[in-house]
This record gives sequence, structure tokens and C-alpha cells, in this order.
Amino acid sequence: MGWAKSHLKTMSIDTNLDNIQEPITTASPEVRQIIEQVLKLEKDKLYLKAPRNINDDVLTIIKEIVT
Amino acid sequence: MKLISIKLCNFRQFYGKTPEIILSSGQKNTTMIHGNNGAGKTTILNAFTWILYQQFTAAFASPELLVNKRAISEVNIGTSVECYAEIILEHENKRYQIKRRCFVYRDQDNKIQYGQIQLFMSFAGDDGCWYPPMQQPEEIINRILPESLYQYFFFDGEHIEHIFRSSEKNTIAEDTKELLGVKILDRAIEHLKKAKKTLQDELNELGESDIKKLLTQKNKLEQEHTKTNQTKENHLQKLSQYEELKKILTQQLLELSGAEELKQLKEKLENQEKTLRNNLVNTKQKIKKTLSSKGYTILLTEVNSEFYQLIEELRNRGELPSGIKQKFIEQLLDRQQCICGNQLHEGTEQYLQVQSWKNKAGIADVEEAAIRLESNVIELEKQVEDFWNNIDTDQSNIQQWRLELSQVETELDNIKNKFRHAPDEDLKNLQKRLDEIEESIREVILEQGVIKQQQEIITKEIDTLEKQISKQKIKEEKQALAQKRINSTQDAIERLQEVRKRVESQFRLSLEKRVQDIFNSISFTPYIPRINSDYEIRLVENTSGVAVPVAASTGENQILSLSFIGGIIDRVRDWSQKNTFIGLDSSTFPMVMDSPFGSLDEIYRRQVAKAIPQIANQLIVLVTKTQWRGEVETEMRKYIGKEYILVYHSPKPDCEEDSINIDGITYPLVVRSSNGYEYTEIIEVEKEIEF
Repeated sequence: MGWAKSHLKTMSIDTNLDNIQEPITTASPEVRQIIEQVLKLEKDKLYLKAPRNINDDVLTIIKEIVT
Repeated sequence: MKLISIKLCNFRQFYGKTPEIILSSGQKNTTMIHGNNGAGKTTILNAFTWILYQQFTAAFASPELLVNKRAISEVNIGTSVECYAEIILEHENKRYQIKRRCFVYRDQDNKIQYGQIQLFMSFAGDDGCWYPPMQQPEEIINRILPESLYQYFFFDGEHIEHIFRSSEKNTIAEDTKELLGVKILDRAIEHLKKAKKTLQDELNELGESDIKKLLTQKNKLEQEHTKTNQTKENHLQKLSQYEELKKILTQQLLELSGAEELKQLKEKLENQEKTLRNNLVNTKQKIKKTLSSKGYTILLTEVNSEFYQLIEELRNRGELPSGIKQKFIEQLLDRQQCICGNQLHEGTEQYLQVQSWKNKAGIADVEEAAIRLESNVIELEKQVEDFWNNIDTDQSNIQQWRLELSQVETELDNIKNKFRHAPDEDLKNLQKRLDEIEESIREVILEQGVIKQQQEIITKEIDTLEKQISKQKIKEEKQALAQKRINSTQDAIERLQEVRKRVESQFRLSLEKRVQDIFNSISFTPYIPRINSDYEIRLVENTSGVAVPVAASTGENQILSLSFIGGIIDRVRDWSQKNTFIGLDSSTFPMVMDSPFGSLDEIYRRQVAKAIPQIANQLIVLVTKTQWRGEVETEMRKYIGKEYILVYHSPKPDCEEDSINIDGITYPLVVRSSNGYEYTEIIEVEKEIEF
């Protein structure tokens, strides 16, 4: 919690695209897993305007990872 | 996405099926298609956008007239003509065949009518066979290259700056973000927020934990229980003290009274009292025992009478007891002689008569069981009698002993009374003291009962509380888990928001730098492209040290737009290789350009020609003979892998024919139509095969 706030100050704006993913790579294994799985799910359903059951699917991902 | 080939059938200028136009890729990544005005260059560009998105560019006139005029006029009224365009492309090592088709016919009024436009897709499996896809073709195409972005990859070079007209500017930012996967991030953030809300609701539903309150209550009750235990202990001590005192006082009393007779009588009475009380207790126990062990016998009366009735019926029927046994009949038959002396030979009348008795004869087992049961029932009935006798005796004993006990108590009381009213003050006082002690003993015993009840209540309450506490513990575990989930979700949201922020700001800056590089490599002006947060691009001039916007020429704007597209392709490619989480598949982009050199002067034409084969991974350029001038040819020749000519067949009898010379060979561009129809034919420029 409050992660973004503490990192905002140190984040330098540059033209390099290498460190964009850093907030994900530095996450705890659980949070990283949530992010990975949710992004995959969203990517798969990106071209559906209103993906069915996506809220339940996201909730299931969280509940299955954080036990 | 890599374009492999395109094929048309009765599509605009193209009559019948065109040969498959193979598109070049790899090192020689450029396909050059030559054609004069009206030969079908714009048609080919629009065939791509029609197949993929059912869209046309602004320069595509009369988009409602798709079918080839010759094809539709050759068939009878009511007969339909197939009009289609299909491409083969490769994406993520998978080959897709995509075809858009419609049937067209002329109605009774000779009006051209279009049937439904249909989209077909199949993909090549690893076994090389073609299969229909599992998802909607539109969905797959959009995943390969979002529709909102097609205009950056399939465009009319003469009007390239139209893509960036102010009214459409705001969509550029959105479109680009989509290409970067920002939409995925946005949706992930949005859905994670919703999930967090649900988790929060679930936590609220669990409610506050009462465990602390319950533990305090339990502690209080436990303390109370300990306190009552102490009181109980105190009472027991008091009781033994009182009993001891009572014994001493009784002794003193008797000694002081001096009457041995009275003493003996009292002792005798007290012994009697003890015996009687013992008897009462024992007898009551005996009754309980009798009731539990023999009580059932008195409930059997009905069953017993039923049994007797059954037996009676059997007897009446002569089945019990059977006068003749089966065994006996069998012996007679075996012996072949009746007891009357008659011979019993098999088959004779006598034999049959004796044999018929066999069925009437009783079965030994049944009889035996009946006899045994009967004796048991008789025994049970006897027990009923015994039971009542025993109970009656015990009851009358109890009554008798109660009577005796009351007499003994009266006599004892009389003795006490004697002491109470004795002339001797000491005696009197002693008895009074004794009475007091006895009263105290009674009180303590009563008190003990109260305490016992209290303790039972407390124990029950503690039990209930413990059950509630263990329930609350489970609830607390659930709460902790829900909170943990909420925290993780919040963390994921914040991290994704940060990634999104970085994508936006860093990508834009990275893009700006790349666009500047490309623009610089093409333009001879000192202008610098700038991209604002809405991805609006403009040129500034910085020679005076202050950035001032530049009123750029059409040519500059065209180069700027090309630089922007080139920048986007380059940066998106870079980003899609670097981002491993969103997993974009946008590492290869084709560019299909119609007349890219239209309004450019010589220097820019050369620069653009030099730059574009390097900007896109795959390039398809549609040019007129005039656009294909020396400098363009010089710069692009080495990238050309495939080259085609669109030969325009003109129905005009006196039309001016035209041709183009490529590698020393002359190819026709405009020829007179031999059949009076206007159409275009595609021919491939032969290339020397390099080894």
C-alpha cells in the first residue's frame, strides 16, 4: 500500500522504455501473479465491448492467489 | 502482421480473378505496384481495408460500386456474380486466409443489387491444413491490428496529413495507446477496482468481531465460578465444624443430664433412625431396579393372549400337538406294513391311504418350538405376578418404615424437648445451642444446593460463550484473509496505474525523439517535431533559442506525418518486444501506401524513398509513372522484391497508349480494350532470380 506514492518522487522521466514494467517486476510474488493473470484475461477479452463475467473472473484470480 | 498475398475477383477494375499478388518481405521488403491514374492503385489499397475492416479511404470514389462492370453486364438479369477480395497474412507464426465476399446481380429494372457482405477466415494449423477459427474473424483481425489504427498502415500518401486533421487528432492518442496496450491496463485497473469493491463489501458483511467482548464475559464468568468454588469449600468446612460441634454438644448434653437410661434411649433411637433411613434408601433403590429389569413383563399381557389364541387355533385344527408324526408314517411305508397288520405295497390303496396321512402329520420342529414358547410365556406370566408381589411388599415396607421413622423422630424430639424445658439451665442452654447448630447445618446444606445450581448455570454459560468465541475466531480469520486480498488488489491497482503512467509519459517522449530523428533524416529544415500529451504533433522552430510554432508546407506536413507513422511503428515494435506482461503481438508492421510522393519535390522524394523501406517491416507502394522518377527508383530499387504493373484496358478507341520501362523491358500501362470493356489486368515484372 502506498507503493506508488513512495516511488513517484524517485521516478525519472526519460525516453527509455526499459523501466516501464518495473512496478510489476518489483511486486510481491502474489501481487505479480494477480497482475499477470488479470492482464492476460483482459488481453484475451480486449475486443469484447462488455466482456461477460470478467468481474467474477478477476475476483476468482485474486481469491485463488491470495489464500 | 506480415502480408503474404492478395487476390481480387470482379472487384472494381479487376475483371475475373486476378493472379495471386505475392507481396515481398524480408530483406527486400518492398512490393512496387505501377499504374496510371484510374488503373486501380487506390482500389488495391482499399481492397486491403475492405477485407480487413470493411472500410475505405477518403480517396476511394463511389464505394457502393464494388463489382466489376464487365462482369455484371455479362450475366443475365437475376444471375449473380461473385465479387470478392482475399488476403493471406501471417501473424505470430500463424497463417490466416481472410476473404470478404458479396454476390451481386441486376434486378428487373437493370439496377445492380448487392447481397450480404460476408467475411470468411481460416488459419493454417501446424499440420498445414486450413481450419476455421474458434473466434469471430472480426475479433481476430482486431487483435492482429485494431481497426482504429488501420489508417496509419494503409494510407493515401497524397493525403497522409489528413490522418492528423484536427478533428481526428484526439483519436490518435487513444489509438496509439491501444497499440501500446494501455487499454488493457485501463481495463485491468477498472476491473481490479470493481473486484476490490466486492472484496470490501464481503469484509463489511462479515461485520465487526465480538471476540474481545466475549472473552471479557467468559473471564468474568470463570472468576465467578472460582468464587463459588471457594464459598462451597468454606461451607464444607463450616459443615464439618458444625457436625463436630454437634457431636461434642450432644455428648456433653447426655453426660450432663446424668440419666443413663435417657442416654441409652437416645442412642437406641438414633441408631433406629439410621437403620430406618438406610432401609428406605435401599428399598427405593430395589424398586428402581425391579422396575427397570422386570417392569416390561406387565406390558406383555396383550401379546401373551395373542399367543394363546394362536396356539389354541393350531390345536383346534389338530395341528398341535400332532397325534401322528411324519416320521412315524415314513417308517410304516418303509416297513411296508401298517400297525393293523395290513401290507403296504407301493401303489396299493392301503399304501396311498397311509401315505395321505403324511401331509396331515405335524412337523416335529414346529411342535417343539411351540412347546418351548408356551413354557416361556407361562414363565413370563408368573414373573408378572412376582413383579407385583415384590413391588407391593417394598411399598408396604416403605410405608411401615416411614411410620416408624416418624415415631422415632417424635420420640427423639420428645427427648430434646425434655432438655429444652429442663430445670437445669446448663442442660437447657446446651440443648438450645444444639438446636442452633442444627439450624445452621440446615442452612449451610440449603446454601450448598443454591451454589450447585449457580455453578451449573455458569458452566452452561461458559460453554455457550466458548462456542461463540470459536465461531468468532473463524470469522476473524476470514476478515484477515479478506483484508489481505483487498491490500494485494490495491497494490496491484497502484502498480498498474504507475505502469500506465510510465507507458504514457515515457512512450510519448520516446516517440517524440524517434519522430524527430526520422524527420531530421528526411527534412532539410531546422524544424523540430513536438508531440503533446494528446499526441498532437506540430513543428516548432528553435533557432532563436525559443520554440516557435512553424506554419509548415504541405510537403513538410507530409514528411511530418510519415515521420510520425514511422516513429509509432518503430516505438511500438520496441515496446512490444520489451513488455513481457501485456504481451502485445505488434512486432511487425506492414505499410501500404498509395502515391507517397505526390506533392513532394525532388529532395524530399529522394529522402522519403530512402526512409520508408526502413521505417516499415514490409512496404507496399502504389505509384504512377510520374511518381516513379529517377531518384525514387534509385533509392528504392534495392528494396524491391516484387513488382507488378496494372495494365489499364481502355474502351476508348483513340486512347493514348502508355508504357513503362523497367530493367530494360517495356511493359504496357494503358492499352486499347479489345472487347469494348474497361478493365485492368495485373502483370508481374520479371525479376532475375538471385542465388
